[in-house]
Amino acid sequence: MNSKTSHSSSQRYEGCTLTGALSITTQVEDAVTVVHGPEGCAHHNVSLLHAAMAEQGHPAIPKIVPTRLSEQGVIFGGEEDLAATLRAMADRRPGVIFVLTTCITETIGDDAASVCSEDYGVPVVLLPTAGFLGGCFSDGLNAALTTMAAKADPVEGAGETVTIIGEKNLEYEVEENFAEVERLLASLGLEVGLRFVRDVRYADLKQVGTGRLNVLREPSLAPVGEALKERFGTPYISSFPIGLDGSIAFLEEVGTLLGLRTDGAVRREEERQSAMLDSFADLRGSVFSIDPMTFRALECTPVRRVMEALDLQVDSDGAGVSLPYSPPVGTAGIRRLLHRWRRRVHA
Amino acid sequence: MKQIALYGKGGIGKSTTSANLSAALGAKGLDVLQIGCDPKRDSTRMLMQGVWIPTVLDLIREKGEDSVSTDEVVRKGFAGVRCVEAGGPEPGIGCAGRGIIATFRLLERLGALQGDVIVYDVLGDVVCGGFAMPMREGYAEEVYLVTSGELMSLYAANNIAKAVARLAKRSKQTCSLAGVICNAKNMAGEEELVREFARRINSEMVAYIPRSRTVQLAEVHKQTVMEYAPDSEQAAVYQELAGRVLTNDRTSIPTPIEMDELEDLALQFAEI
Repeated sequence: MNSKTSHSSSQRYEGCTLTGALSITTQVEDAVTVVHGPEGCAHHNVSLLHAAMAEQGHPAIPKIVPTRLSEQGVIFGGEEDLAATLRAMADRRPGVIFVLTTCITETIGDDAASVCSEDYGVPVVLLPTAGFLGGCFSDGLNAALTTMAAKADPVEGAGETVTIIGEKNLEYEVEENFAEVERLLASLGLEVGLRFVRDVRYADLKQVGTGRLNVLREPSLAPVGEALKERFGTPYISSFPIGLDGSIAFLEEVGTLLGLRTDGAVRREEERQSAMLDSFADLRGSVFSIDPMTFRALECTPVRRVMEALDLQVDSDGAGVSLPYSPPVGTAGIRRLLHRWRRRVHA
Repeated sequence: MKQIALYGKGGIGKSTTSANLSAALGAKGLDVLQIGCDPKRDSTRMLMQGVWIPTVLDLIREKGEDSVSTDEVVRKGFAGVRCVEAGGPEPGIGCAGRGIIATFRLLERLGALQGDVIVYDVLGDVVCGGFAMPMREGYAEEVYLVTSGELMSLYAANNIAKAVARLAKRSKQTCSLAGVICNAKNMAGEEELVREFARRINSEMVAYIPRSRTVQLAEVHKQTVMEYAPDSEQAAVYQELAGRVLTNDRTSIPTPIEMDELEDLALQFAEI
């Protein structure tokens, strides 16, 4: 029997398992995700994902279809509802149907695996996502990535491109963060092949083994990185670069893993970083009051280091600013942070 | 209105006892409602002369909850006993416990839970919250444990006593243990064993129903004993039970015993 962590250690990423998996499956453009459960489980997630996508400039409605389990389904079992929904969705000929289970269908013991194993004429991929079984947001996300990776075609020999693994599709700056990693890789002459999983089609996912290098969004995705390394022999970097030092370290790590010279790229990046800091010289010596809700983020070394570089002070009388929930990605992430702070100072 | 529930191990004879009790109460001129709370819906069959009446859950499934009427779910059987079967899912799927909850909500909304006596014939054991529903929500005010002297049925009875004790602690609780019914297998020392078991769990044996071929004969004729052999000794036993249930005003909060104690007790009374 599984158990959950206590309330005292509850974090944002310990949220709904289903939401974690949906943040991945809804990024497959030609997929339909069937949520086997009550309408509310789907509706809540549709609103959340829609809001996040709109914020990122893509106000699409995520393709999520609930089986609309009611009390009748609970009593008599929801397997027929699931099969009927799968048949109806298969008629629309999507590239793939993902089936996500919910707390209630796992509680009553619906055999979703056997329903999904029938032939619907399109691929059907099952992801058990009942949160009460011990799962949380990141488990759903990891499970989705791992399951999709397991569907990939075998490859012979590494390709030329870099694969990005597990972008945080719900964060506001997801595209900006991707662009920064893409820029750093380009400075070493590398191209991104596949974003696993963002803005892709189901057939693209089969290419996940063909990259020279995998770059994970954050260290918690290590199990996915390990699984891909074991299966395809692809080395991985465990996180997007964080802050200024992180960008330099990232370039050096990529170079080491792929046997590339990095001196030139590192030098150019350092020049870029000092030019960037110079452009914020007007902030030098400014005083900020940090939103207490995000105060702990000050412990984030990359932010602390930039504050020191510009001699920024923290005092409750200063201009109120908040720190980002996720640490800033790369040189560009720090630049955006400083832009926001500048707006507060001149507000 | 008296609301009683019979709980006990599967196969111990709850439905036979319930149906004959209801028939005996009906024969006294009382308005009796018997509700079978088992997906296999065989509680009221003998009262209905072998007719499988439509179940509440089947009707809900076919017509939707809002279209089900009282006349469809409540059928009149022998001695005027009004019969209801909750029904449930096919074995191996869904949640029968939730089905019991849905059935009770519907019966309550239809105003069908009325009469002089309501007899709830509940599934073998209190396996989940759904099956504890008749006790928990105050439908079953008096719980009778049906058991024989066999160890397995005593285990089950003791377990159900735990549920009664647990639920009786709640603030708005109205259910309590009204007694133990010994539906005998005709084992040696059985009556004394069950009487002592009842005493140990802070209750009382209210009836000893001997094993009788008449019950079997009545069953194959798709009738209750009260209908098939109204003048038999066995019919008299059920009539006595009915009288006892009607006048019983002694209820208790049970004190379930440890398994070791139960096994020692059985050993002590078994005449080897």
